[in-house]
Amino acid sequence: MALVLRTATRQGLCSARMQFGVGYRHAVPMGTTAKDEMNKFWSKNAQLNRPLSPHVTIYRWSVPMIMSITHRGTGIVLSGGVSAFALAALLLPGSFPHYLDLVHTLEFGPALITASKFALSFPLTYHAYNGIRHLMWDAGKGFKIPQIYRSGYIVLALSILTSLGLTAL
Amino acid sequence: MAYLVRVSSVCHRGVRPLLFRSASLIRPLAAPKKDEGHSSLLTARIHATPSHYAVSGSSSASHHWKGERALSVILLSMGPLAYFYPGTVMDYSLAAVLTLHAHWGLGQVITDYAKGDSKIKMARAGLFLLSTVTFAGLCYFNYHDVGICKAVALLWSK
Repeated sequence: MALVLRTATRQGLCSARMQFGVGYRHAVPMGTTAKDEMNKFWSKNAQLNRPLSPHVTIYRWSVPMIMSITHRGTGIVLSGGVSAFALAALLLPGSFPHYLDLVHTLEFGPALITASKFALSFPLTYHAYNGIRHLMWDAGKGFKIPQIYRSGYIVLALSILTSLGLTAL
Repeated sequence: MAYLVRVSSVCHRGVRPLLFRSASLIRPLAAPKKDEGHSSLLTARIHATPSHYAVSGSSSASHHWKGERALSVILLSMGPLAYFYPGTVMDYSLAAVLTLHAHWGLGQVITDYAKGDSKIKMARAGLFLLSTVTFAGLCYFNYHDVGICKAVALLWSK
């Protein structure tokens, strides 16, 4: 029954195509936007208390996946750091050199200082280099799976090397 | 034209086989020659709808996307530029570009994860507040304190 309907519809569509030529251009658009449809979907699920299917807990993690969420994670951490710095500038009474001297008096060992510098610079270099990788994708380049892995490893290597270089400055 | 098909990509056997790139999994699939002209014409029809025929009628999302990418490129170049040309102009430019990039980036995070009209509105309001305070704080720091470039230099000279 469904097969009959499907073939009939297909033929119907075919003839419609013949008649109207560029008919798609003048097709009547749907009354709701994609955003409306999405909201309806989510509110219905919430209202019916439907459980969410497992997804990130069961899917096999891959290097591109890990790098993608790390890009988001480093972005959030970096912007959080900048916002925290800005808030501190507004709220704390002293000046930056004053607080820097306070930290100096704590007399951290060279190992801790180097480690801290690396910990500060690595999220930045990773986010910057992976950002370039994202921009390449936006330009339409490097979507083949081997290319994705290759560019990913290059980003990781460059991030570590640049971060080490910055730490040594 | 024969199409090379990876068997594993057609069978639903999960992710693992996709990582196998050995030649034994690839074999040619004989396919009838497609009517190239017809299919490309169909594609042209489907993709022919320019943005002003779209339901919403606005290309603001497209402009936003382009703006995000342009800003990212600008921020990338400001890294080395700030190193070689530190100063007041660089400090304020950095404050603006950094805050806007973070604002747009966090906005994408909200779009991805926040669901429900009121939750989205609250998240966006909170983000706007955060970005405003961040920009204000950075400008305050640039004006009353040593400035971003000098601060980084001082911190690193430890």
